Amino acid sequence: MSPLTPPSQDINLKDEMRRALAAYAAGPGSNPHGTTSDLSMDEELNLHSIGWEPVEFVGGFSAFSTPSLTWSWGQGEIGAASYAHEQAFDLALARLHQEAAAAGGHGVVGVQVTRSIHQSHTEVSLMGTAVRPVGAAAVDPQRVFTSDLSARDFTLLMVAGWEPLGLAAGASFVFAPRRSMGTVLSQQSQNVELTNFTEAMYNARETAMERMQSKALAMKGTGVVDVKVFEGPMYFASHAVGFTSWGTVVRLRADEHRHITPTVVVPLDDAVVAFEAATLGEV
Amino acid sequence: MTPEPTDLPEAAERRLTSGAFSSGLSVADFAACLEMGLEPVGLVQGFCAMQWNALGPTMGSFVQPFVPGSAGYSETFRCPHGFVSNDHRVWGQNFEQTWFQNSWKNGFDLAHKRMIEEAQEAGAHGVVGVVDAQQPMGDGGILEFHLSGTAVRVAGAGPLTQIPFSTYLAGQRLAKVVEAGFAPVSVVASWGSVRMWPYCMTEYQLHGRGLSSFASSIPPSEVDQLVRAKTRSRYIAREAARRALHGDALHGTTVTSSEHEHSQGEVDFHTLLRGNRIRRFKDFEALPVPQPTVRLS
Repeated sequence: MSPLTPPSQDINLKDEMRRALAAYAAGPGSNPHGTTSDLSMDEELNLHSIGWEPVEFVGGFSAFSTPSLTWSWGQGEIGAASYAHEQAFDLALARLHQEAAAAGGHGVVGVQVTRSIHQSHTEVSLMGTAVRPVGAAAVDPQRVFTSDLSARDFTLLMVAGWEPLGLAAGASFVFAPRRSMGTVLSQQSQNVELTNFTEAMYNARETAMERMQSKALAMKGTGVVDVKVFEGPMYFASHAVGFTSWGTVVRLRADEHRHITPTVVVPLDDAVVAFEAATLGEV
Repeated sequence: MTPEPTDLPEAAERRLTSGAFSSGLSVADFAACLEMGLEPVGLVQGFCAMQWNALGPTMGSFVQPFVPGSAGYSETFRCPHGFVSNDHRVWGQNFEQTWFQNSWKNGFDLAHKRMIEEAQEAGAHGVVGVVDAQQPMGDGGILEFHLSGTAVRVAGAGPLTQIPFSTYLAGQRLAKVVEAGFAPVSVVASWGSVRMWPYCMTEYQLHGRGLSSFASSIPPSEVDQLVRAKTRSRYIAREAARRALHGDALHGTTVTSSEHEHSQGEVDFHTLLRGNRIRRFKDFEALPVPQPTVRLS
């Protein structure tokens, strides 16, 4: 890894542009397969700085059904819904992983997670870019990681001596507890805390987070970073609460954490006062 | 090289060769382009209106689903239950809508070609800051493809021996690409379309429809037909984009997925990929690790 040095200033962009044009005129490249990537140039430059490159734009999708009576009113956890979420996530992840490994990637960064929960099924779509150290040979598929960290965050993580291991998700769906007519009537006019509802949410939260963390442990990770949390009722089932979370499992790769000391900068550009022509008409 | 005869309107030719330029670039992008020796020549555009018929060869067919005779992905699904009734589709099909994809490609390629012709006419080396849009026109059944961008000349470079390059990038973003050692080649857009005509299992799984005893007896399972349709749509778009690369790299791809439901359960899955085809012109050289900073405001 290169030491922290300021970027070179001696590059002449006009010359570079002319070289680029000459390369364009010279004809197509040499990689018969071609590489595809959904990374922005900034992300790609971040990767380049630690010697990595994009290989292939990859994805995985799954839809898993829930039986028709799943959401009818009941009590406790809605097992079939939690199961469908877990299966859909795992199957989509397995496909993403497979595509990345087949393309020779060492991992996938910037995975966009799109998840939709419907009455009869749960869909999970994952898309990202498979990456590897420049020109490196394929690794054992077991070691290919997936991560929803952006390339920038991936770079920072690597520079700090850590590595991503995989995506981990956890979900739990529970029914809001039933109340007797008498309780409803007595609580209706009082604006008190409905402890049984609060408890239902806590239960869902604990179960979901527990599931995510046990997946992280199974990957031999130290922790999960950039965890996203979603909580609330379903659009088709207001009597149920879903709690889902996912994030990237990480582990310390180096002997110890390397501290990154940022330089403090003060941008001067917000001192600019812009003239607003729109105000002219209002005099 | 003498350019091939184009179908540019005469007025456009006059305007493009008039000496004054117009440019779609923001002032910041304009400044960055000048910095890298790109001189704007003119705002160039290309249009193409295509007949946009969702049914294609399936129109008027009495047999549903359609069995395409042409090449392309197609897959049938058979009912595992072994009985026939009105609300029970004993077979289903996924198929690639090749005629639809071809229309899309024709529309986009023609609009792109016309934009490039304008740039060539104006003596440009490339088109930067390309914007493209597809929208329905008129009463429907027509799709309009529109591309526009700023034609530029590279300062100090001789005439091109081939058509001008094109890229969605402009300004600093383009400068970074060039600085990193990549030459812009072309905008690439590809479109995949797969129709799913569901069979009984898919309908039960997705809608709980049909005989309730059957619907409720299906154990929780993966919706195989849907998974295959959506996965295939993305795959088709990516492979079509790859065919346009000819060994170069596709970078900064954006993906737009959409669904169009014809009747309940019968759905088109569309995937649109857009990206920049770029070519490495100097060897990989790791950049310095970026200096982390914290802004004080």
